[in-house]
Amino acid sequence: MNREEEIVSRLCGAFPFLTDRICVRQKNRIFTDPITREEFEQIIPFVHDQLGFYRACHVVGTDDGDSIGLLYIFSDQDSILLALRESVPKSDPQAKSICNLYPSIILHEREIIDLFGVMVKGLPNGPHYPLPDGWPEGNYPMRKDWDPKKFNKQTMKYEQSGEAKENG
Amino acid sequence: MSSPGRQRKMAEINNNQIEFPIGPQHPSLDEPGCFDITLEGEKVVNAVVGVGYNHRGLEKTCESRTYVQDLYIIERVCGICSHAHSSAFCMGIEELSGVQIPPRAEYIRVIIAELERLHSHLLWLGVACHEVGFDTMFMFTWRNREKVLDILATMGGNRVNYGVNTIGGVRRDLDPASIDMLQKTLDTLEKEIKYYANLAKTETTLISRLAGVGKLSKEDVLKYGAVGPVARASGVRDDIRVIEPYGAYKEIPVHMITDDHADVFGRTVVRILEMQESINIIRFCIQNIPDGPIAVKVPRRIPAGEVIIRVEAPRGEDIHYIRSNGTDIPDRVRVRAPTEANWHGMTHMLTGEYLADVPITIAAIDPCYSCTDRAIRVSSGRDVEVMDWRTLRRYGIDFYRKKGIDLSTLAVGR
Amino acid sequence: MDILISLLKVLIFPGFLFLSVYGFIAEFLDRKMYARMQNRVGPPWYQPIADFFKMIGKRTLIPADASPWIFRIMPFISLAAVSAAFLYVPVFGNKAVFSFDGDLIIVLYFLTMPPLASFLAGWYSRDVYATIGATRIMTQMFVYEVPLFISLLAPTLLVGSWSISDVTRYYSAHPLYALINIPVMITALIAFQCKLERAPFDSPEAETEVVSGALVEYSGRLLAFFRMSLDCELVLVISLFSAIFLPFTTGIVWVDFLLYLAKTLFTLLLLTLMKVSMARLKIVDVVTFCWKYLTSVALVQVVFNLLIRGVLKQ
Repeated sequence: MNREEEIVSRLCGAFPFLTDRICVRQKNRIFTDPITREEFEQIIPFVHDQLGFYRACHVVGTDDGDSIGLLYIFSDQDSILLALRESVPKSDPQAKSICNLYPSIILHEREIIDLFGVMVKGLPNGPHYPLPDGWPEGNYPMRKDWDPKKFNKQTMKYEQSGEAKENG
Repeated sequence: MSSPGRQRKMAEINNNQIEFPIGPQHPSLDEPGCFDITLEGEKVVNAVVGVGYNHRGLEKTCESRTYVQDLYIIERVCGICSHAHSSAFCMGIEELSGVQIPPRAEYIRVIIAELERLHSHLLWLGVACHEVGFDTMFMFTWRNREKVLDILATMGGNRVNYGVNTIGGVRRDLDPASIDMLQKTLDTLEKEIKYYANLAKTETTLISRLAGVGKLSKEDVLKYGAVGPVARASGVRDDIRVIEPYGAYKEIPVHMITDDHADVFGRTVVRILEMQESINIIRFCIQNIPDGPIAVKVPRRIPAGEVIIRVEAPRGEDIHYIRSNGTDIPDRVRVRAPTEANWHGMTHMLTGEYLADVPITIAAIDPCYSCTDRAIRVSSGRDVEVMDWRTLRRYGIDFYRKKGIDLSTLAVGR
Repeated sequence: MDILISLLKVLIFPGFLFLSVYGFIAEFLDRKMYARMQNRVGPPWYQPIADFFKMIGKRTLIPADASPWIFRIMPFISLAAVSAAFLYVPVFGNKAVFSFDGDLIIVLYFLTMPPLASFLAGWYSRDVYATIGATRIMTQMFVYEVPLFISLLAPTLLVGSWSISDVTRYYSAHPLYALINIPVMITALIAFQCKLERAPFDSPEAETEVVSGALVEYSGRLLAFFRMSLDCELVLVISLFSAIFLPFTTGIVWVDFLLYLAKTLFTLLLLTLMKVSMARLKIVDVVTFCWKYLTSVALVQVVFNLLIRGVLKQ
């Protein structure tokens, strides 16, 4: 059995709910189907301590319709990337940060807060990233229903109906 | 022009501590970024890193354009690692469609990638020397960089953002004249780089500025997730060309350059040696490049799926995530540039340093502040107005017209 | 009549007008040599004059928090001090416009004015960058003043007089004795580079750290005169150096003037070479370097010169 399959079997052994929801999609790439917040919080310490994925490369936010997907990508000393997909419903967009185990994810989780509107709790204090400080509340640019043409740059307001008229 | 959320007072002397802003506009930064440093005398007590000034909304843009149009946008994420980004994007789409590109195209991609690494490291060397006040080296390295840019202009048509990649291969082939020019330039560059390596080891003032500055131990690199030359200078074996070879790197011998100094001096040494290694790789490629076509046709609609691609940009590990939904417009494109991973260790590196070390520490991670666009807010008294480029231009023309100068006849490139 | 001739000497030649014109020429040569050594083209000959007139034509902005009187007067204090000091340095051979026993001290005193004026200008600008730049100027001054004074006074131990003109006369008469002073010649050159705030000692005006140091808030006319005073300081420094350490004069006035030009340009070349080939030192390293190396070498030379004086008297 190669290394990817070994990791998959160890994960399924420790967390039976993962059994059919994890697969080796391509060489060196392990993906999971969407898992809930609570399941994700259980898996993370195992991934960090037991499996040796010491670095959290990134978290990609995706708009999946009714929920926001947070694809956390971890890497280890070899070339394997483990992509855990946490799913957060849009009706209750909250998540817990993993920055106490992985300090290298802080900037990327801030991006999720600004661009997708998911409140990631547990981050240290710091400036907004990447949007400017005066950005209006409730505007999450990376959600599919946010149309850049409807955003009036003069008033910094999102016009719900029709196109925004720009002054010049 | 300041945003109301971040009011800064100048020269606030409080308990012997001064708030010292580096940025958003500062001569030591190529691009805007804000580092609010708290100084006690000449020592840095605290540093708050604020980036995001260059946010341009690229990912949102990619979601409303086809893959071919997105290729040009992704290439312009960064001016200096443009080929790395476009290669990664192309590799992702080729993997999603299950297409194998011809070997000649793989080799050409590697040659351009290594040339890019050369000119990026030369640029970095010049900028680093400028940050420590050694303008002579700055001028010398940038003069040599011009030679590399001349080759890239001959091969690709442009000095940066060369547009060599296309989905399915490359667009331009190598012709004997440019290979000849390449060989001659590589010979000259090899001599110059040897001179720089010697200089870095023997010039006392330079060593006193670089050694012991911006320390990031091996444990800290693993903790803060640093990538690229920053990680390799602390002894961490992290080079995607060796760990997970892609494209023609599967057949080309690449030596990973690591160093144990774990400070800015180590990063300098790693980059200089990597330049020598790049020259060797290009020579190997020119000798062993196979003949054949340079591109294959890829269908416009890409089958649904998702893929994560890693390449070794000059600054480190570059990750691209592409999710497609079966149409010719991507569902989600995400670029994680290497600099984003290197920012996290910055506060740790800056605290406890002298003020004079701050610019070189920031420059040593080779920052490429690449993200989304920021609108400009002008606040005069109570009125707040947001300006985009057209409004700003009109504001400027009116301002000067009141003084009797008419600039409206100047042509502006759109 | 005497008063008219004195006024002519003070204001025109070799006084203020000569000093400022030579200052512009020296700045041009410095920048041209610097550029050529870096394989660049460099500015045309009229660049410093063009810069001066351009800056005079620009609007002068004084920050709201700054102290306007100090802000306005500092460039002129600096310029006045340098012009006054230049009158005591011999340009035609052995005789300066004015000279008396002790004028070396006066010149050194006047030479502390430009950094002090920059410091006050920066401190009263009420700006973070200016504050840090001004503190660095003062820190640097504390460390280079001592070796500079000792290095310039060591040659006078053999002469027995503290007048620059006497020193020049003595060493022209005994040129071989000038070789004794070679160690302090080197330390004086380095200490002068420190005073002029040029690389590797340009920490007070480090562009990549404190933008422009103490003068960051200056613009327009005031900046033009500050820059001119720095150019004149350069001329004063190279003239002083060549008067004390490079002592070859004939008796013929115009030959001596040409020799003066040759010596000062040679000194300028040495200073530019130092600027081109080194990175900027941190202020803490400057402090260590000056106390450890410059001061100790200068002190050793003083002791040595005292012994030689004892030998020579016999």
